[in-house]
Amino acid sequence: MADLELKKITVTHKRVVAIKDASLRAQEGEIVGFIGADGAGKSSLMHAVAGVASFEGEVVFKGRTFRSPKEAEPLKPLIGLMPQGIGLVLYKNLTVDEHLTFFTKIRNIPESPSLREYRQRLLEMAGLSPFTDRPAGKLSGGMKQKLSLICTLIHRPKLLILDEPTTGVDPLSRLELWDILDEIRKSEGTIALVSTAYMEEAAKMDRVYLFDSGEIIASGTASELLEKVAEYSYEPTPCTTRRCITTMDYTYSIDPLDAPRKTPTLEALFFINALREGQQIPHIEISDRENKIAVPPVVMEAKGLTKRFGDFVADDHIDMQLRGGEILGLLGANGAGKTTFIKMLLGLYPIDEGELTLLGKPIKSAKERRELKASIGYVSQQFSLYKDMTVRENLHYFASMHALDIGKAQERISRYAKELGFEKYMDELPSDLPLGINQRFSVAAALLHEPVVLFLDEPTSGVDAIARSQFWQMITLLKKKWGISILITTHYMSEAEYCDRIVLLKEGKKVADDSVENLYKKFPKAKSFEEIFLHYYEDRI
Amino acid sequence: MNSGVIAAYILKEFKELLRSRMIAIVYILPTMIIILFGYGIRMEVTHARTLIIDNDRSKISQDLTVRFQNSKYFDTKVVTGITLKEALESIKRAKTDILIIIPDRFEKELLKREKPEIAVFVDGAFPVRASTMENYVKGVIFDAASTILKEKPKNLVTINNRNLFNQPMRDEDAIVPGLIGLILLVAPAILSALLIVKEKEEGTIFNFYSSAVSRGEFILAKIVPVFILHSINIFILFLWATWLFEVPFRGSFTLYWLSSELYILTSIGIGLLVSVITRSQIVAIVLTIIITIIPGFLYSGMLMPISSMSGESKIEAHIYPVMYYNHIIYDTFLIGQGLDSPKNRLYLVILLFYALFMLLLGSRLVKKETG
Repeated sequence: MADLELKKITVTHKRVVAIKDASLRAQEGEIVGFIGADGAGKSSLMHAVAGVASFEGEVVFKGRTFRSPKEAEPLKPLIGLMPQGIGLVLYKNLTVDEHLTFFTKIRNIPESPSLREYRQRLLEMAGLSPFTDRPAGKLSGGMKQKLSLICTLIHRPKLLILDEPTTGVDPLSRLELWDILDEIRKSEGTIALVSTAYMEEAAKMDRVYLFDSGEIIASGTASELLEKVAEYSYEPTPCTTRRCITTMDYTYSIDPLDAPRKTPTLEALFFINALREGQQIPHIEISDRENKIAVPPVVMEAKGLTKRFGDFVADDHIDMQLRGGEILGLLGANGAGKTTFIKMLLGLYPIDEGELTLLGKPIKSAKERRELKASIGYVSQQFSLYKDMTVRENLHYFASMHALDIGKAQERISRYAKELGFEKYMDELPSDLPLGINQRFSVAAALLHEPVVLFLDEPTSGVDAIARSQFWQMITLLKKKWGISILITTHYMSEAEYCDRIVLLKEGKKVADDSVENLYKKFPKAKSFEEIFLHYYEDRI
Repeated sequence: MNSGVIAAYILKEFKELLRSRMIAIVYILPTMIIILFGYGIRMEVTHARTLIIDNDRSKISQDLTVRFQNSKYFDTKVVTGITLKEALESIKRAKTDILIIIPDRFEKELLKREKPEIAVFVDGAFPVRASTMENYVKGVIFDAASTILKEKPKNLVTINNRNLFNQPMRDEDAIVPGLIGLILLVAPAILSALLIVKEKEEGTIFNFYSSAVSRGEFILAKIVPVFILHSINIFILFLWATWLFEVPFRGSFTLYWLSSELYILTSIGIGLLVSVITRSQIVAIVLTIIITIIPGFLYSGMLMPISSMSGESKIEAHIYPVMYYNHIIYDTFLIGQGLDSPKNRLYLVILLFYALFMLLLGSRLVKKETG
């Protein structure tokens, strides 16, 4: 008999079915992966199993059955839930130590030497033992997630439910989170249900369930799933049939294609599923810019740029150059100073030290910066959209902020909507749309005034595989057709490979600045860019 | 109920309140309201700018104008040789509040018992203020008439007016106790709503949802800090009232304290109800303010006694707890009957039931699941 069994679980939110008839089984010590686009029903199923949302169907765990949150109550000492969102369950004014004490107390665990020992072990696994006095609000994203995880583990749950614990987390912290999880399930025999947006992680799990619009559509071990899609995956080739799509690294086609096959990753599941269902994946296009301009050879030059917050140095004398028409990837762990650096470039933070030259003009005063605003486009981590305005209204608002002529704005907005594939969502509110659509129309908003340089801060975090692939098509097309320069931050190391050049930050300092090929040459043993990244961060591997 | 769980939650609430500096609002807001409203609401009129045109310039007319000049209620300017039009223009331009015209032959007619007429014009832009000023003017003139004419008119009744409970007719005495009823309804409700809605908005509410912490434990942990913090406000507000505003206190302090505690619990219950239906802190604050400040002000008895209300307003006044609490509070400050009065006893019991009902309703509706 399975230790955990979900029988036909259906969760409904305000009469909208979030997940329908989901069933699964898991054994002690197994890690079960949930993958799928946002809104596919992963979180809803997790909430149901954790006993925090009403559902139909039944959950059998350790021989006990529950059908509602109320019936789940006696089982809660055995369950741990870490909901989606970085540091969501943390109180920003409480320290690391106070969090562990609070979670111990509300889980009603008596003080004992074994508890103290376990707690110390968790702190060390998370690498948080030097920071026990630091308030959670002052931890980096990766540390917050590690703290959330060990707080969820303090009562030794037998069923651990982790909702996207690694989204928006840097590769190093991701590995550390994974190590904690792996050790706990081995030593405690915990069943872990984990949803993730990183297919490299899904590949490490014992079983993977693929979610699509409220249903589980495939399940199996990673290799079983990969086997099913291997025959449809090819080296990138132009598509000739309708049931075919080409991404940055692959061509997926249901109809046989005269091209060499390529070993797929789990990401292939999303594309092939979309093709099978006959979903129209909008083709991304970019037409030439209306106002032709000459992009200067060096768009941005920073010399010794420094930013301090109190005695904490967020960026420490950073030199960087953004050349005309290049895509520059800015990488680094959470808290390495990437966002701070971009905010200095934009003038959102005053520069404490160093020189900044934008488009050939040294920036000293706010006035000089204002004159350049018309040449810069920016998309922030949270996309900065107005939630109570439709996509169309948002775009018109941004157009008028740039003092664009109404007729011209109208024309550009409808052209972008068509080319970037969000035409049919124009009259919906951003909060009702998938992240991928919001991301594309945020970029469209930043392109309305046809900038010369584009700053993008983690545009792909939490965005599903298909939308990410379309996003990169858009970015490469922008570079090709418009010849503009793009500075982008990301936590997907596979995306780093699409950049022309990489700058790696570590604790506020620049540790690498080179092209992707040169970096591979430097580390001939590295199988993926992630390994190169980790090389700089720690001497592991 | 597990005391260890509740204690851990309460400790966390206190730490958060202190570190987020929200504690300042808990104590600054009530004091701010009592000081702003306590000084700000003024029913009585002093220093009304008065223009007297004395066309008679006799002994009696001068005697009358001197009475105005000597009163703290009037800033009097006596002029002659100014036309009525000019004088009225001065009211129009808000330079003058009251215009009094004494006709020539005033003294002569008066001595001849010919009933002379004095013209009085009052700026009526604010009706309440205007009628107050009108009464003051009448008072001065009648008072003068009764002393100047040594022989009193036969049919003139002298009224020996004495205002009970608030003899000097001080505004502070009439308003400040009512303000306590307003503040202790608004402030605890806001804080208790915030403590729950903040967790909802930030997502930490999942710690309650996903653990075995019971609803009772959670609610108790949210109520206790608000109750303790605002209990201190009962004393602070008492000090402001008696020391800063010099309101007399004639009743029992125990009754004041006890009924205030019950009233705070009622307010916390309102906050719980707000937290059930709201998801964001800003909505919770606005909603709490709307449902507490308006009734807390209108039905406080500050502006209008409940007994003189009728129809819908009377029914509404009886629905809100403000009326019952304020009745007891005004009694403890100004009258001092205390529990000897059957009405006070009844109202205290009503407050008790109100508190229990609100808390019970609030805690019934708090759910332990998302959605």
